[in-house]
This record gives sequence, C-alpha cells and structure tokens, in this order.
Amino acid sequence: MTTDPSGWVDAYGDRLFRYALSRVRDEGAAEDLVQETLLTAYKSRGRFQGASSELTWMTGILRNKIFELYRRQSREVPLLPSDEDADPRSEFFDARHWKSSQAPGDWGGEPARKAETAEFAAALRKCLDALSAGVARAFVLREMEGLDPREAAEVLGVTPGHLAVLLYRARLRLRRCLEKNHFAPEAA
Amino acid sequence: MKLLPSCRDVSEYLSEAMDSGRPLGMHVRLHLTLCEACRRVLAQFALIRHGAGRAPEAGPSLSDEAKLRLRRALE
Repeated sequence: MTTDPSGWVDAYGDRLFRYALSRVRDEGAAEDLVQETLLTAYKSRGRFQGASSELTWMTGILRNKIFELYRRQSREVPLLPSDEDADPRSEFFDARHWKSSQAPGDWGGEPARKAETAEFAAALRKCLDALSAGVARAFVLREMEGLDPREAAEVLGVTPGHLAVLLYRARLRLRRCLEKNHFAPEAA
Repeated sequence: MKLLPSCRDVSEYLSEAMDSGRPLGMHVRLHLTLCEACRRVLAQFALIRHGAGRAPEAGPSLSDEAKLRLRRALE
C-alpha cells in the first residue's frame, strides 16, 4: 500500500531528479526519467508491499530506467574506443613515470570524510560533466551504481576489455579533476 | 627500477585490479613500495569509489513548471 500518489512529486520529485541528473547529465532527460519513474510506480502501486521505503522502491525503478536509457543510447551510437577521450596516458605520463605536473598530490587529512560530503558530490558531478559520454557512463554504472563489470559492459554494449579502458580513463581524469576542485585545490 | 613496471603500466593495472578483484602481483607491490605517486593513486582511486557510491545527491531541484507537469501526468 503506497501513500497518496498526489503527494509523490513533492515528497520524492527533487531527490529522484538529482539522482537522475547526476547520472544522465541533461536536465530534460532527467525530468523525463522522473516522469517515467513516477508513472511506472503509479501503475504498479498495487504490487508495492512496503518491504522498503517508497523512495527506495522508486529509486530502484529509476535505476532501471537509467540502464534502459544507456542501452538505447549505446545501440543508437555504439561506443568505440577511438571515439572516446583520447588516450590519456601521454597526458599524464612521460615514457615511464608521472609527469611532475600530473603526479597525484597529497589529499590532506581525512580524505574519506571529504569524500562523503555534498561538496564532493557537486565536484564529482562537475568532473563527470567534463568526461565524454561513454567514459562517464562506464564510471556511473561501475562506481555509482555498483554494477559488476560484466553487467556494466552489457548495458554499454562493449566488451569487458573496452570497459576496462573506459574505467581507467574515467579514474585518471576524475582523480585529477577532483584533486583540483575538491581535495587539494590550493595545491593544483 | 627498469626491471619494474612503469608508473603508467602500474596505474592501469591498479584500475583493472579494482574490477577484476585479482591480487596485486609481486612486481606491482614492489613498485608501490618505491613509488609514492602510485601509492597515492591507489588510495585515491579507492577514495573516489568510496565517495561516488555514497555521496549525497547534490544539484538543482525540479523547476516549478516540471513539478506541475509531473503532477498532471499523475492525475
């Protein structure tokens, strides 16, 4: 038994929207996902057993909508290694070692606490926006949604090897961007 | 040091190990004992994973127009 659906937009709309926006990077697409989620929840509200909170239930629906969108996008424009961010290794490394300007810096005291703040979430969103679509989607599926690599590769329509390349590029670029924008901005 | 893998290779290996769950090989572990930058990157990749999986959602709220549209769609 759910609460009155007429109150869902006020109760859950903003949180579902922020969840969607952090994963699809487009306000219009995020709004569409929230609408589809609320409509799906409305149609299936008779099956809601209350085993989780309504928000958790709706977030689960939204996650599946996001995966469906990613699958559709990957079918329409298949991800090819050559189309994604240029190989970042020459940007970060000389022949063997980190370039001095790119070497990982000290993230100061209590970096784990700093990684759990709203400021970190905002910086992560900004840094994700700077990645190419496929690299960002790979990171979202693996690190934000927690899919295992096989599932993430299936959603993106890529091989496990290609997924590994996308994740490596995402991690290198996000590490640098988060260092500059959140963890050690004064040192960058 | 030339017998050991490069920082470039180690950083790639560390990223792959986060997904494969494979333990780090001896040469990589030895490289890490000698290279502060790669020790940092290992810790920072893990921190990014930690934060990305649990950071509170931040960002804008739905516009009033969007909320109105959604309410109508649910009527």
